[in-house]
Amino acid sequence: MTAQEVRLCGLLLQEHFGDVVEKVGTHLLRNGAQHLRAIVQETGTPMDLVKKSLCVLIQHGACAFSSGRKGPGSPVEYQASFERILRILRYPRYIYTAKTLYGDTGELIIEELLQRGHMTMSSTVKTVADRLTLNMEEGHSMEYSEVSNTFSKLVETHFLQRCPPVEVAGKAVSATPDPATTPGAPANNTTPSTPESFADCYKVPHVTLIGRGKRRNSSEDGEDQRNAKRAKEDPETHGDEGIYWQVNFERFHLHFRDQAIISAVANKLDQTSSEIVRTMLRMSEVTTPPIATCTQALSANEIFRSLPPNYNISRPILDQYLTLLVDDPMEFVGKSGDSGGGMYVVNLHRALANLARATLESVVQERFGSRSARIFRLLLRKRHLEQKQVEDFAMIPAKEAKDMLYTLLSENLVQLQEIPKTPDHAPSRTFYLYTVNQLPTARMLLQNCFKTVANLIERRLFETKESKRLLEKSQRIEAILASLQASGAEPEQLTEVEEMITPPEKQQLESLRHHINKLDSAENQVDETIFLLESYIKAMKRL
Amino acid sequence: SGDGVTKKISLDWIKELCQQFPQGITDQVIQNDMPHLEPQQRAMAINKLLSLGQLDLLRNSAGLLYRMKDTQTASKMKGSDNQEKLVYQIIEDAGNKGIWSREIRFKSNLPLTEINKILKNLESKKLIKAVKSVAASKKKVYMLYNLQPDRSVTGGAWYSDQDFESEFVEVLNQQCFKFLQSKAEAARDSKQSPMVQRNSSFATSHEVWKYICELGISKVDLSMDDIETILNTLIYDGKVEMTVIAAKEGTVGSVDGQMKLYRGVNAIIQPTGLVKVPCGLCPVFDDCHEGGEISPSNCIYMAEWLDF
Repeated sequence: MTAQEVRLCGLLLQEHFGDVVEKVGTHLLRNGAQHLRAIVQETGTPMDLVKKSLCVLIQHGACAFSSGRKGPGSPVEYQASFERILRILRYPRYIYTAKTLYGDTGELIIEELLQRGHMTMSSTVKTVADRLTLNMEEGHSMEYSEVSNTFSKLVETHFLQRCPPVEVAGKAVSATPDPATTPGAPANNTTPSTPESFADCYKVPHVTLIGRGKRRNSSEDGEDQRNAKRAKEDPETHGDEGIYWQVNFERFHLHFRDQAIISAVANKLDQTSSEIVRTMLRMSEVTTPPIATCTQALSANEIFRSLPPNYNISRPILDQYLTLLVDDPMEFVGKSGDSGGGMYVVNLHRALANLARATLESVVQERFGSRSARIFRLLLRKRHLEQKQVEDFAMIPAKEAKDMLYTLLSENLVQLQEIPKTPDHAPSRTFYLYTVNQLPTARMLLQNCFKTVANLIERRLFETKESKRLLEKSQRIEAILASLQASGAEPEQLTEVEEMITPPEKQQLESLRHHINKLDSAENQVDETIFLLESYIKAMKRL
Repeated sequence: SGDGVTKKISLDWIKELCQQFPQGITDQVIQNDMPHLEPQQRAMAINKLLSLGQLDLLRNSAGLLYRMKDTQTASKMKGSDNQEKLVYQIIEDAGNKGIWSREIRFKSNLPLTEINKILKNLESKKLIKAVKSVAASKKKVYMLYNLQPDRSVTGGAWYSDQDFESEFVEVLNQQCFKFLQSKAEAARDSKQSPMVQRNSSFATSHEVWKYICELGISKVDLSMDDIETILNTLIYDGKVEMTVIAAKEGTVGSVDGQMKLYRGVNAIIQPTGLVKVPCGLCPVFDDCHEGGEISPSNCIYMAEWLDF
């Protein structure tokens, strides 16, 4: 766990769950698996607060519990998951993807599940139906069955999955939070079992849900909370008690990866080629395991049949496109055989490596200029070069090339390899070769991304804190306006209240809003880079 | 005495033989031509000619060769002593790559002062010349007067007077890229079948070379190899890709039965997210931490970027 990773997780936990959870979570991240008493002692937090924090973390899958290392009698240990906490950064992207694929209903289902961590299908459906109804016209409301439909579709395509059932955890755990609301990882085995290892992972339970969303009128914050609490203790049963669902992040990640590959093909080649690749990826969605190097082999006949109907290209033309894809130096698609008109695969790992490489080149280009980028690409291609060779191949004058190489070296983007000619390593008799190692460089850049996101979050918090007084004032005025309007005040009174905010203050608020939005979207942009680099590093690890 | 006359006659005879065969004669040839000459006398005659500096001793796969020395240089060298001849020989051996004065000292084992004197002498006699090497601007290499210096010394087409012509290279780079880009665009717009489109977007190195020559932007003559080095820099810029195809011998532009084809390409991603924020480009990224002198809260780059 690097310092940057802990810092970023701390910021994310604090924003989403508050200071106490942040303290407990950061402590666990820094110190590995710990049992309850140790956490209480070392963080100086009261026992019940620690228990509640652990509840929250487990609810969101950010913490797992398992029996102690010292044997079955020792206290349960808790371990926080850095990766899971980092996913919080990607929530907007998940929600947006759900929206593009399954419309507003899908968007809200994913949003609810992300916010609550684990939920039963029935409670999700009811909450989402209520929310949708709120946004509809008077007199209209959302059918539960429609929402259930979308929920089932999400499960079918594996975007949602059941939480793995809690094993016989009752006897091992003394401090387990309420089991009805917090299913967690199985207690007894040391190997982490994935949700997929449970047979019913993607089986939609038979739920009796008949009804429509309820519209709540004039809901203020207090009432909403009370209603939400009431819903939790709702005695109505629908046949799916104890079956909790969570968002399947890996599935979303596969989707993002496919998107990245398709857009890379579209950029490099053309729209039709990217559509063909999209078809191939869609066909192998459920048959290809997530860690595969390439998809299952698909025959050209199958691809031809599965193309979207508005793309009527003839069979020989399809063959030409496939041949071109195979011949392309990027090697997105490979040919694995000749039966069925030609068997083709999408080279997933190679595509990820190419995307990671393009990311590294892009960073060098933007940061140091096109000539340094030329040197960088040159070293990536030729692996090891001497100073003189770099100058000659890149056609950059010696003095400038030297300067650029030393800058890249000092930033650790380029490494120096010594090859001595004599056993005494005398400098005049040693080869000094410059080289770029893609994987370690990607790891380093990933850490930089984490630091960058943490910087952006801190700046955002700072900007908000600076204008705290102004924000509070504007909120008070809005509340006053709302209550005046509700009680039927005259326009002059309203304007008088509005004018309590002076124009320069209005401008300040506007600029603050602009800043916050910019910082927010910047976090998402850097997260895209994080995704590409992480996917590449993970793929390389599995080799 | 008769011995001296025989010697003079054999000397002239051998010299005539050498003149007859300018590429050199072997001991066997002399023997065949002058069978009456004893081997000992033959050897003495050859050694005399060598010491007089009128013959060159060479070795080839068959054995030793004796060759007539160039009379002009021979006459010039007449006044020189053995040391000068040695230095001259070393320089001659270096061919058109030239040799550094320190290396001459190494090879001849003569003291530096002697070498310098000899070099000055030879230079004034116009037997050798000094050429500045592009690799190390202060280094001078010596080579024979009438030799054309090798490319590695002068830098070839990209150097004029020891200066690397960056602008010239830049201009060529842009022109080649424009040519390839427009060819790719034309292929795309032609709306033919994808295979034909791709093939017509390629240009051979020969085509590019012809285009550049016709443009007339180069004062010096550029070879196809020169153009290929420029095209390679475009590959390292990520703007161009290359393939090699087999070509029939004799096809225009083919080298050893192969042709190199180049094509303009697009980047596969947009600039990545990290570089769209100030931190991704920040020169003091490593010094920045909350609570320090440089921190996200007081970062001026961020402030500028936010207000943009």
